[in-house]
Amino acid sequence: MQKSSTTSKILLDFDPEAANLLPALKKINVAFRYISEVDAEKVAEYFELPLAKVYETASFYDLLETKKPAILEIEVCSGGDCTLGESAGIIKEIENRYRIKTGDEFNPKVRLKKISCLGRCSEGPIMIVNGKVYEKMTASGVHKILGEWG
Amino acid sequence: MRNPKIITEHWGKIDPLKIEDYLNVGGYAALKKFIAKMDPQKALDEVKISGLSGKGGAGFLTGAKWEIVAKQKGEKYFICNLDESEPGTYKDRLIAENNPQILLEGIILAALTVGAKKSYIYLNGNFEKAREILERAIEQAKENKFLGSKILGSKYLLEIEIFSGAGAYICGEETALINSIEGNRGEPKIRPPYPTEAGLFGKPTVVNNAETIANVPWIIQNGGGRYSECATKLFVLGGAVKKRGVAEAPIGTTMKKAIEELGGGMQRGKDFWFAQVGGAAGRLYLEKELDAPITGSGAILVVDKTANLYDLLLSWTGFFRRESCGKCVPCREGTFRLNEIVERLADGEISDRDKEAMLDILWTLENTTFCPLGKFAATAVRDAVDKLGVVSTNYE
Ligand SMILES: Cc1cc2nc3c(=O)[nH]c(=O)nc-3n(C[C@H](O)[C@H](O)[C@H](O)COP(=O)(O)O)c2cc1C
Ligand code: SF4
Ligand code: FES
Repeated sequence: MQKSSTTSKILLDFDPEAANLLPALKKINVAFRYISEVDAEKVAEYFELPLAKVYETASFYDLLETKKPAILEIEVCSGGDCTLGESAGIIKEIENRYRIKTGDEFNPKVRLKKISCLGRCSEGPIMIVNGKVYEKMTASGVHKILGEWG
Repeated sequence: MRNPKIITEHWGKIDPLKIEDYLNVGGYAALKKFIAKMDPQKALDEVKISGLSGKGGAGFLTGAKWEIVAKQKGEKYFICNLDESEPGTYKDRLIAENNPQILLEGIILAALTVGAKKSYIYLNGNFEKAREILERAIEQAKENKFLGSKILGSKYLLEIEIFSGAGAYICGEETALINSIEGNRGEPKIRPPYPTEAGLFGKPTVVNNAETIANVPWIIQNGGGRYSECATKLFVLGGAVKKRGVAEAPIGTTMKKAIEELGGGMQRGKDFWFAQVGGAAGRLYLEKELDAPITGSGAILVVDKTANLYDLLLSWTGFFRRESCGKCVPCREGTFRLNEIVERLADGEISDRDKEAMLDILWTLENTTFCPLGKFAATAVRDAVDKLGVVSTNYE
């Protein structure tokens, strides 16, 4: 099936009302990991909104991506509780492993992002790799997990 | 009188996916009582007598808020705020995951009391499990005629819809939340008009925190007078305590008591340094200040002497830098620069100019931002400066 036809299909699940814009964008984001320009245009057309308005909403939220994601997207919780755990050490370990800096966006293979508390503090520190959540992380434990992701 | 467990009584004992379990422990008795023996005015009176106050942080009197909306005619909305993205806080998520029906019963009672026929649960976009549980719970409540048209055969009707957020702390602020449901960027709106006058889609709207709402069935069932004598609060314990997690205890519980009794005391070998109360936006308290009651949303992070303060400063300032919605300059620029200065501070490269700038930025955040987030961004750093001497001392 072509990607474009799938986006249109996703949109058909929603009445083109204001309150459905964010839910529709989220669903597209889940399906394709981000909202491409082509998809944003389809959404604008479907909801009869200017493209700029769709981007305005899409770019606002952490859970929506408007840029093509890297192959490996690593997120580490930097909330207070995870920080008292080891999240700062975990971040350093990952930066060293891939020779990257947190927040840099130009590497198409791997990206590391600090994220806000997910409300799972008692199971922290929390690391997320391409959407999969890992609990009770340690700095030394990151290599085994990341090794599994190639 | 011993404080009852108003919200957590059945946690872990009932299956959140089975409405029968909730019914078997007396669930929906309050709604049945409302339909059979009460009317909205009577229910409003009970909530006013109860003294129930908001658990989302600001502590506004719930009865007073409801009354403003109840008095108005026409279309209205009731919104349950389950955005809960304050770092270190997850009490509302646990309510939804452990006893979703108590929350629904509360929403139904609240909505019928204020005269709303449509209600939204604004759910944090990361709470997938809570979403599944709530969806199921809504279906079961409908099957049992607690929701939909002609609730329990009466003239009342209500529809509840879950609206999932998409990761933005500011969307917990009620006007930003409303913008978000309306499909806009989740930026705060100017007030007045308040949501109680012109809220969702311009209609009078009550926004209540999930924990606030979960108290309502008990109040209706047992009376506002009794509630006022034994009200409780959920506290979230984190950091260097033995038992991390959520516990229910009397309103007014002191920090000391919470740490020792609810948290089981300090972890072995760790010495208390300070506590942060209320998430990343929370004040810092030293040992000598722990006799004060816990205020705000109820989260308490216990920091011990081995902690790296710079890592925490980076955590707080990084959070607000990411979460500033960007609508007003003092907050957008201030949170960004504060985080940069803290990065230099952590690297040991802070200059005298930085120190001065830091104090200027804190003042600007405290006094000039459009919504409370700006002030929140300054709180912990301000206390770190004033109480822990963060710019004047070198921690190692
Ligand atoms: C930046 C910011 C974030 C907020 N986040 C939340 C939240 O996650 N949950 C919540 O219930 N209230 C939050 N609030 C408070 C809401 O604006 C509102 O006061 C509350 O939902 C009212 O409910 P209550 O009266 O039952 O406490 C936040 C406020 C601000 C300024
Ligand atoms: S204070 Fe910050 S969060 Fe609030 S409106 Fe201004 S930029 Fe947005
Ligand atoms: S601090 Fe990491 S999940 Fe809460």
